[in-house]
Parts: sequence; structure tokens; C-alpha cells
Amino acid sequence: MYQYDDFDRNFLKERVAQYRDQTDRFLAGEIPDDVFQQLRLRNGLYIQRLAPMLRIAIPYGTLNATQLRKLASISRDYDKGYGHLSTRQNMQLNWPELAEVPDILFELADVDMHAIQTSGSCVRNVTTDQFAGVAADEQVDARPYAELLRQWSTYHPEFEWLPRKFKIALNGAESDRAAIAVHDIGIQLQVDAENRTTFNVYVGGGLGRTPAIGALIRENLAEKHLLTYVEAILRVYNRYGRRDNKYKARIKILVKAMTPKVFGEKVDAEWDLIKDNPQELTQQEIDRINGFFQPPEYRRVPDGSASLASQRLEHPSFNRWVQQNVSEHKQPHYAIVTLSTKATGIPPGDVTDVQMDAVANWAERFGYGEIRISHDQNFVLPDVPQYQLFELFELARAEGLASANQGLMTDVICCPGGDYCSLANAKSIPVAEEILQRFDDYDYLHDLGPLDLNISGCMNACGHHHVGHIGILGVDKRGDEFYQISLGGNATNDASLGKIIGPSFSRNEVVGVIERLLDAYVDNRTNGETFLSCYRRVGIDPFKDRVYVQEPERQSHASAG
Amino acid sequence: MPVLVKDQQIVEDPWQLLETIPDYVPSNAIVPVEQLKNSNANAAWVDGDIEIEEYGDKLSTLDLVAVHFPMFADGRGLSLGALLRKRYGFKGELRAFGQVQPDLTPFMSRCGFDAFVLENELAAQTAIQCMSSMSDFYQGSVIQPEPPYRRKRAR
Repeated sequence: MYQYDDFDRNFLKERVAQYRDQTDRFLAGEIPDDVFQQLRLRNGLYIQRLAPMLRIAIPYGTLNATQLRKLASISRDYDKGYGHLSTRQNMQLNWPELAEVPDILFELADVDMHAIQTSGSCVRNVTTDQFAGVAADEQVDARPYAELLRQWSTYHPEFEWLPRKFKIALNGAESDRAAIAVHDIGIQLQVDAENRTTFNVYVGGGLGRTPAIGALIRENLAEKHLLTYVEAILRVYNRYGRRDNKYKARIKILVKAMTPKVFGEKVDAEWDLIKDNPQELTQQEIDRINGFFQPPEYRRVPDGSASLASQRLEHPSFNRWVQQNVSEHKQPHYAIVTLSTKATGIPPGDVTDVQMDAVANWAERFGYGEIRISHDQNFVLPDVPQYQLFELFELARAEGLASANQGLMTDVICCPGGDYCSLANAKSIPVAEEILQRFDDYDYLHDLGPLDLNISGCMNACGHHHVGHIGILGVDKRGDEFYQISLGGNATNDASLGKIIGPSFSRNEVVGVIERLLDAYVDNRTNGETFLSCYRRVGIDPFKDRVYVQEPERQSHASAG
Repeated sequence: MPVLVKDQQIVEDPWQLLETIPDYVPSNAIVPVEQLKNSNANAAWVDGDIEIEEYGDKLSTLDLVAVHFPMFADGRGLSLGALLRKRYGFKGELRAFGQVQPDLTPFMSRCGFDAFVLENELAAQTAIQCMSSMSDFYQGSVIQPEPPYRRKRAR
């Protein structure tokens, strides 16, 4: 992974001191609230419903054991002993003290971490495939390019005060695990016929109030142009993006208003004028950054396939976990392990200090000290020898991190919702909790197959409900919490946005509705058909009928928003 | 009382900014850009959202261009300043006025602004400190076009 040098460390040290000074001036009454709000947001600090929330950056979801231990100790010393893994592969602390945040940032800088640009109207943490570098279906490792973009976008003189937040995601594998279609900029990496890395650039995707799928505006962009091309996009957006209405300020609105074609032409015209400027990447820099992401010297490990097969036969729970949470590795005899945070009784993505320390230890014991955070809010250990899977499984089970549900319906993506967030219309964690409780039978879940269920507490869509195969959105109806349900969203290749099935439901109806939707799927599917492909084939009506027609006595909520 | 910071120092402001053109235009007037052609002024002020493609050539010949920041978090003026310096080769004084918050001056300065109208003396002093709080950056800028990988990290 990327290693900080003196330049990075000095930058971070100065940035922390700068933020400490800003906090001191705010506490001394020298900075008005609305100004300090923008300054603290650029260091990841929100003021939430109950307390501040600090969002710590985990660039493209990669960190090492030392860093994770630091997160554990910070959550112990400055918070209530737990943190929350977010859908941007970051970690959020829910209970820090505003006055202590500079100390937290100082401690983070000790292990080359920060909270820079994890909120505010600027370029946010760049995200990518949590399996980058180890996935069997990978063409190009996206991490070096995510790192180049991270550096370029950090404290950019021109683009720190954009009309609205700006999210960039990259994917270098065949399956898109980074949801690039629903980002302000999505970049697909590939290798061309001459073995050169090139980029396809999508722009204007996003969730929120006005969900949109990104449009392809540039194909086969050469490596050295990565930063200047993104600069051109951001300059067009900074100049012309709307600032009069924050709900119309994202780049997707501008792209739609101009049309992707005209927007692309505008970007090209700008890019023509800057592509040879000094910001063009040098081969030396591309090589330098790629050098940090070379695979480790894999230890020669025993061929674990025979013992693995017999362990799987002997232990059905282990078998289920391997089937669901272990993914194919590039390297023979190694595996990628997803440690699910989605266990009954725990808000999705919440992890305790004890769990963080344990995961850090396992990363060193079974791998090369590296951990990933996935955008679906789980831990990933990228380099586990197959013959040690059973050992890891037993340890993970003891720590509550071995739910065999990766990619299944109970691997819910869920925002903090009305329990914490001051923007939320409704609670989301209790809904996730009820779903996890109701559907805890592995055989049933496994029979349902891959199913993304995503929950957001408001239309800002932090829980990605638009791209859930089943999406649940909290809405406020005259002061009461209601839930709108949509079907057919998809965040991966062939991305699509969900369609609302009809009037919304009260909280105690939600689980029953999900159950009826699943029944409709089971009744309609053909052999081997997933929920999503079944929905795409039969359409929304069979699902709608099952939910609304079967209960004529149910009170209709026709005014649902 | 607004205070002018020029080249990291508090200085007397020799210019006067005019909202509209009076009958007699003093030689130290900063006039609205639309009224440049009706006067012999050598300084103009603009809003951050003007089309630089339309005004850039004219502006680049002036002694001073002042950019109005209507809200402190409005970054349009940053793109405008950077383009005026880099694309149109403007060499005169580039001044920020309006909602100029001290913590924003480091960004403005890296986009080519060398003069800032701050709200008061304290804000002016804070701005000067803010501008020296960071010593180097990841990307090129108007004042340092070469990113680190063409300088220190290339060695």
C-alpha cells in the first residue's frame, strides 16, 4: 500500500495545526458559526443530532494493522468504544467532543491518517473495489490511480469550494464493485491491445434526490492525462454548476441540463487548453505510485484445497461462510475473506474497538498486515492462505464477524439514520435490525441468492437505496416515519435505478412487505434466476400485486411522497 | 473598517472601488467591468461568474482586477482568478473583495490573488498568518505551477 514520505507527513502536520488554530479561533468567538461549519466539514466534522460526528478518511478503503489499532484506541479514548464503517469506505465516530477533535487528528497523523475532505463541497475520499490488487477478475489495479487522484484533489486551490460535494470512484475489474455508475465521476480502467492502461470516464451519476446513471464522455484516455482531464471536468463544474439551490447543485444536474454530449464537448474544449500543462503525469510519477502497490512476496503455503474440502464437509456453518464470504484470489492457495459486520442485534457497519484490534491482529497473523473496508460496510482481509481459513473462521465467529451473508439480503447497506443523523426523516437501523431478525435462516437466504437490500433514512441516499435490488427509503409523513419501497436498482455492471412500488408503509408493515416481495420472487423465478433478473423479466406488477392487492383492508397511504 | 492586505502585508488602499461611474472618474477608480469602455479607468471589478472568454483579453491589459466573492464559500472566483493569470497572462494586481474570509485566502493566493480586502484589522492579520500556515502542496498552482512530482519527488 501507499507509504507516506516526508512530504506527506509534513503536509498532514501543517494541516492538523491549521485546523487546531481554526478550532481555537472558533471557540474564542472569532469565527462565526456558518464559516466554521464549512471549515470543520473540510475536516470531516459534522454536528449531529446528539453529538458531533467525525468521519475519518480511509483512502479507497485500504489501511494497515497499525492504523486500524489506532482507530480502535481512538474510539476507546475519545468515543464510546465503537466506530461505524461508511459506504464511502471511511470510519465514522459518533460521539467525539468538538474541542478534542484536533487531538484526534493529531493522533491520526501519527499513523499517516486524517479526516481531510471527508465532507464539505469538495472532492471526497476517492473509492474503489475493495478487492483491488487481489481479485481474480481484475484487469488493472485501480489503487495507484485512486492514490494519484487523492493527492491531486487534496487541498486543491481551485476546487475546494465547489457548488456541492464531489465523489469519484474507480474500478479495474470485470465486475464493478465500486458502483462507478452512480458517482460524479466514475472511471473504468482497462488494458488496451498494446498493454497500456487506459480509462473510460463517466460523469454525472449519483443518488440523492435526483438519482442518475453516469454518462460515458471519454473513452480510452491515456494514463498521463488522468489528472488534467479530471481538472477540466471540475473546472467546467466549478464555473457552471448551480449554486442557487443546493438540491440542484450536483454535477448530474449540470450534465443533464447541458446534455452529456454538450457537457463532454465543453470539457474537451477546456482540456485542449490544459492537457500539456505541468500537471500532466510523468511516467516517473506513474511508476513511483504503482511501485507502492506491487503484490507482497507471497509466502509459499501448503495447498489447502484437500483439508478445506474436508473441513467444509464436517462443519456446515464453515461451509456456508466459505461459500458466501470467501472470494477467489489471484494467487493460488490464497483467498479473499469478507468479515461481515451484519450480525443480528448490531447496526450494520458498527464495529467495536475489540473487533478492530482483533481484525488488525488477524491481518498480521494470516496476511501481510493489510485490511480493506468495503462500500457495503464490511471488513476484508485480502491475503488469507486457504489452509488457514478454518482457523480464521473460528476466531471471527468468536468476535461476531463471521455472518455468512456477504451479498445476501441480510448484508444490508444502511445509513446511521434518525438515530444519529440530523438530516434523516426516519430511523433506518431499527428497520435493518427487524429484517436481520426476521430473515436469519441461512438456507432460505441462500436460496434467495444475491440480493442487495439498501436502506436510507432520507432522500440524501447515504444508504444507496436507489441501487438496492430492494430499496427502502425513510420518508416523513406529517411527522410520522414511513418507508417507501423500490425495486430493481443495481449498483454494479449494468447499473439501474429502482422504481417505487407504490404508497409507503409504516414501520411495522415493512418486514411483512419484504416477505411478500420475496414470495413473489420465489413464485415467479425460473431456474437459477436471481431476484434482479427475475424482476427485470417480469416487471414490477407481480410484486406490486402481491403487496397491495392481497390486503384490501389495509389503509391506503395514497399521499405518499 | 475594511483593511487591505497586499503581498502579505497590511497597506493603505490607494484605489477606490466604484459601484457605478460618476461624471468624473478619478484615476484611481476601480469601475464595474461593463463600464470600462465608457471611462479611461485602468482598473475594473467583476463578479466571479463572468464569462472570462468574453472579458479576459481586455482585463489582462489593466493595472488591477478586483473579483467579487458574494459568499465566502463560492469558489467561482477561484477559477476566474486562476484563468486570468494562467490563460490570459494578467500581471497586475488581482484583488479579492466581498465575503473574503481569512481561511480562504490561502486558496485565493494560490489561484493568483495578491490582494485581499478583509473585514477588519484582526481578520487581516489572521489572513496573513493563514497564508503562511502550509508550506507545500500536492498539486501545481498559479504561484507554483510545478507539482511536487516535477520538483522534489522527481529526485
